[in-house]
Amino acid sequence: MTKVDPILLSVYARTFKSITDEMSISVQKTTRSPILCEAKDFVTGLYDADGNMLEQTENLPILAFSLAPVCKYILEYFKGDIHPGDVIFHNDVFSMGNQNNDVAVYKPIFLDGTLVGWTAVKGHQADIGGNVPGGYNPNAKEVWQEALRIPPVKIYDKGVFRKDVWDLIFANIRLDIVQHDMRAQMGACTVGERRFLECLTKYGLSSFLAHKQALFDATRRMMEAELEKIPNGTYSGEGKVYYDGHHEGTVFTIRVDITVRDRSITFDYTRSDPQTDGFVNGTFTSSASATVLTLLQMVNPDIPHNEGMIKPIEIIIPEGTILNASYPKATTFGNHLCPPNADSIIRALAPVIPDRVTAGWNNLLCSLTTGIDPKRGEKYVDIGFMGLKGGSGAMLGTDGYDHIGMIDASGGLLDQDYEMFEQTTPHLLVKHEYTADSAGPGQWRGGLGVETEFVIGSDDTQLVTFGDGDFEPAFGLFGGGDSTLNLIELIYPDGKRVVPRNKDLITGVPKGTVYHQLAGGGGGYGDPTKRDRAQLEREIRNGVISTGQARSAYGWKG
Amino acid sequence: MTLKIGIDVGGTFTDFFVAEEGAEPMIHKVLSTPHDPSIAVVQGLEEIAAMMTPPETLTHFAGRIDTIVHGTTVTTNATLTHTGAKCGLITTKGVKDALEMRRGIREEQYNNRYTNVQPLVERYLRVGVTERVDRDGAELAPLSLKEVEAAIELFKAEKVEAVSICFLNAFANPEHERQAAELVRARLPGAYLTVSTDLLPSIRFYDRISTTALNSYVGPKLSHYLDQLIGRLKDAGFRNLLLIMQSNGGVMTPQVARDNSALTLLSGPAAGPGAGLAYARVHGQNKCITVDMGGTSFEASLAVDTPVMVNEGEIDRHRIALPMLGIHTIGAGGGSIGWIDEGGMLRMGPASAGAAPGPACYGRGGKRPTSTDANLVLGYLNAEYFAGGKMKIDLQAARDAIEEYVAKPLGMSIEDAAAGMYRVICNNMAQGVREVTIKRGFDPREFPMIVAGGAGPIHSCLICEELDMPFQIVPRESSILCAYGMLMSDLKHDFVRTFVSRLDAIDWPRLNGLIDDMVDEGRRLLSEERIGTDRQQVHVKFDCRYLKQYHEVSFEVPAEAVKARDIAAITTLFHAEHNRLYGYSLEAQKAPVEIINVRVQAVGHTDKPAQPKEPWHGTDPRAALKGERPVYIPEAKAFRTIPVYDGHKLRHGNLIEGPAMIEEITTAIFVSEANSCVCDATGSFAIFRKGREDLVVSTLKKG
Repeated sequence: MTKVDPILLSVYARTFKSITDEMSISVQKTTRSPILCEAKDFVTGLYDADGNMLEQTENLPILAFSLAPVCKYILEYFKGDIHPGDVIFHNDVFSMGNQNNDVAVYKPIFLDGTLVGWTAVKGHQADIGGNVPGGYNPNAKEVWQEALRIPPVKIYDKGVFRKDVWDLIFANIRLDIVQHDMRAQMGACTVGERRFLECLTKYGLSSFLAHKQALFDATRRMMEAELEKIPNGTYSGEGKVYYDGHHEGTVFTIRVDITVRDRSITFDYTRSDPQTDGFVNGTFTSSASATVLTLLQMVNPDIPHNEGMIKPIEIIIPEGTILNASYPKATTFGNHLCPPNADSIIRALAPVIPDRVTAGWNNLLCSLTTGIDPKRGEKYVDIGFMGLKGGSGAMLGTDGYDHIGMIDASGGLLDQDYEMFEQTTPHLLVKHEYTADSAGPGQWRGGLGVETEFVIGSDDTQLVTFGDGDFEPAFGLFGGGDSTLNLIELIYPDGKRVVPRNKDLITGVPKGTVYHQLAGGGGGYGDPTKRDRAQLEREIRNGVISTGQARSAYGWKG
Repeated sequence: MTLKIGIDVGGTFTDFFVAEEGAEPMIHKVLSTPHDPSIAVVQGLEEIAAMMTPPETLTHFAGRIDTIVHGTTVTTNATLTHTGAKCGLITTKGVKDALEMRRGIREEQYNNRYTNVQPLVERYLRVGVTERVDRDGAELAPLSLKEVEAAIELFKAEKVEAVSICFLNAFANPEHERQAAELVRARLPGAYLTVSTDLLPSIRFYDRISTTALNSYVGPKLSHYLDQLIGRLKDAGFRNLLLIMQSNGGVMTPQVARDNSALTLLSGPAAGPGAGLAYARVHGQNKCITVDMGGTSFEASLAVDTPVMVNEGEIDRHRIALPMLGIHTIGAGGGSIGWIDEGGMLRMGPASAGAAPGPACYGRGGKRPTSTDANLVLGYLNAEYFAGGKMKIDLQAARDAIEEYVAKPLGMSIEDAAAGMYRVICNNMAQGVREVTIKRGFDPREFPMIVAGGAGPIHSCLICEELDMPFQIVPRESSILCAYGMLMSDLKHDFVRTFVSRLDAIDWPRLNGLIDDMVDEGRRLLSEERIGTDRQQVHVKFDCRYLKQYHEVSFEVPAEAVKARDIAAITTLFHAEHNRLYGYSLEAQKAPVEIINVRVQAVGHTDKPAQPKEPWHGTDPRAALKGERPVYIPEAKAFRTIPVYDGHKLRHGNLIEGPAMIEEITTAIFVSEANSCVCDATGSFAIFRKGREDLVVSTLKKG
């Protein structure tokens, strides 16, 4: 084994990071679906020959921690039948995929005939077949009503393009842009492969192998040092999920028991409720990603993201629970179980590490409109990113972040630009502003929520809603107050008001209907009467806290 | 005999480059005066006047100056330190928070203590008014002048210094913005006003509102500064042309700068890339990578025929969507601090000891080991000849700092630790160079690297090694490259109009109308700046994309292609540029292409100072040899005693084989073992990989 050079180790770490960043820029600049190029709902990664994570660029953290497990599954699946020039697609949630729409490209990298690593890009595709365009089908009970399943499949076999396989896949997907976007993902894998090979050629394989292990060890020590700061013990918390898409009034509970033993941590979800018979179910990797990203917000943000980081973390989610559905259950909503999962973790750890947790974050409530733009005669699909972004929870010493969006994106998801929104849809934006008094009050207040209103510009418009947060607000901590609730409502041209359920499919919405949405704020932290008065008065003047709330919640005497 | 002076105001020093026909170019530096930078400007001119033979009075000297080109960071500093004007914003009802929301991004996703930036306009001074046009520019609701008046009353009461106007879809129909502007000018004549469609009439609301607000935020400061500067220069006796540096690498008159102050926001390093190109041309190359390593930051940029432009950037996390040079900045400089992270890995920066307390070896209270300390331990810096011997530095303090914070934790010797620090920061800088080359589709190996900044030439051999680049040039003016570059800059005015159409269905009369308007406006400005038509040039660029892509590719379209309405040629240019940037094009699939924006750049060519041309003095450098000392040789991972040359005594043609050190008052150059160095006709140092004599062939042989 080559001797480890601590300096070269830093050079490797920096180089890996620049490789996945470069792949990320390539995807962002060349894809067409706004979910990818604007909202950056994708992850790029570099893995070793065994599928261990070397580095990732996690634009949307909820996708991030399922790439390495799938890579390992692919190795197991093909059992050595992996060759230079292969390119593999995968989305299957019953073989470690996290969500049907998140389709990944894996490219094995060879040096002198030896498998040395993988590049991969996983991105949320605009469509993936199934009953409903865009993939969110609240009526689904089984995976086939949601999506086309893609277990590991070679699109290139030893460098030869498999047109038949390609055509089979895309014959089952509605939108052509998905083909272009998957090409862009393959392009990014090639960009990463090129850079990785340059690096290996320069330093040699044995140097890489030795330093890779040292890098994992160094990162592991960093994570362990963070975990050591949490007192030993077992801590429990709960988060609630409202409505399974089928049975009005249903409520489900996620229960976590977190055990900290010196330098390791275990998240055990065994006591959580059983799976639902709708699409409100997690997959193991979507749920485990949610756990990891919530924990990462409580530790040093500088820890590199590689295999060493996750080594001290054990996650137990029995199959058949709401966070890990069994075959062939529907699971498209699974990524969005992150907010209640995070709630359960925060509630468990708040008493132990009160200086590291935030209060509750605004939960996701999102909508998707599809129809025909009457003036341009073109079909459009729009995900209402700007409407869904509420506030984050406050923490000791820091207010919540206004209009950031759910915790599983943590500010990685961008609003549509208003003028681009009006170019690509027939809708007319009326309002998109902070909502006064939406933040949970506190010595440190929650982030502000927003109000969105637009006039729907096409007849026979289809609206899909998916989310939560319209029953239970983001919670406050240590005397901080709860925030406001989410809401989506439609005011038809004839004055009729329709409030869709939080997982719903509404068709035939006429042109001229007003779409109105409130995304709630984040929870507050600490006693609001202790809030800095100058800051409070500035907020009153700026109209984000009313004098009424200032008096009632903050004890303002003005 | 023309006399021109480039003046670059930096945080610590104000640099001067004096070019007079028939005389040796002159370099001068004075300490900056941050509270009023124009004081240092005049002081420097006075000192230069006294250095003339025979010495001159300031009045006499200033009266002889034909042109002063001036770079200022007044606007940059105002933004970074949140000391811009108190601003008001008038926008469309319902979207007044777009400016503060910044599209909802949090750049550090796992860091819950990372807060949003302070908005450029406080919320109570952001007023939404009733008005609306649709995406095609048709009026849906007239502008409520009453609501604009109410906003103006509020601004008056609040003593607002600057106003911005930005309405939804105004790029498609600016009429409402014009109406509101008229009212603001009439009722608030003292306020600085920016109208979004005057500054940036292109699509993307957040980009436009942020750029507009930035312009107003820094406008009053810049105007005030220009008043001070012009006043002081006038008092000193200066009568001629004053030009101001812009972020796009061009210059402009003070009046244009006053109205478009945001054009100066990222102008600090903008003169560098053009200057770099001038040095590359001496060696027959028309492209280069220019790097500049200062005390806290490292800047890298690229030029191919002309410096590479981008159409957007950021300052203090605020979007600025004006064309500017594509300069990439990272936190790596002489003051970058070395530290060990919790996993036991060595890191360099981005924290910097800056000028105060400075590196440990400065003895001004800095305890942490910096890049400069490592350079001293490794022998690249000479404790006896720092700043030409004017400043004492303490080797032992450097060793102690490195020992405590790097060597001991890593269990290695002080020398090995210093070598590690050197290596890691060089790697960081190499990644910075990748940002402007590989990530934009260029291969760095094909470019000479122009190395600037006091600390740059110590590190450039290893940076080039990382990137496999065989050729670098350290200009004689390396330590004041930007001041020199300012004199090499042309007048440049950028214009943009949004024009959305499929390329195969262009309404040519309309497009040509837009282009003609921009060309006329550019030529009008240039004429006002006393540039004759024979020295005016216009460039047309299209921003295009494949139908339904979200990001555009900007590329130059030859005038003939526009004239001939040659869609095929224009489409081919787009495919080629997309392929170069992103590794593929959809030419074979005949994918339809759409145009989003059309741009015009009007360039007015200025007189450039001629580069000095020294006669060839032969290859023997011995006359400049000043001694030898032990220096760390990265290739050998060991110290070796190597020759040290006095750079001021090296002459055209002198050839030095690496490893060697070359010392000048403001610069130290390390030529590594893999390289050799030859002094070229301009007095600059051309460093080439051994075996690649072909790169400097004209300099190696006489003639």
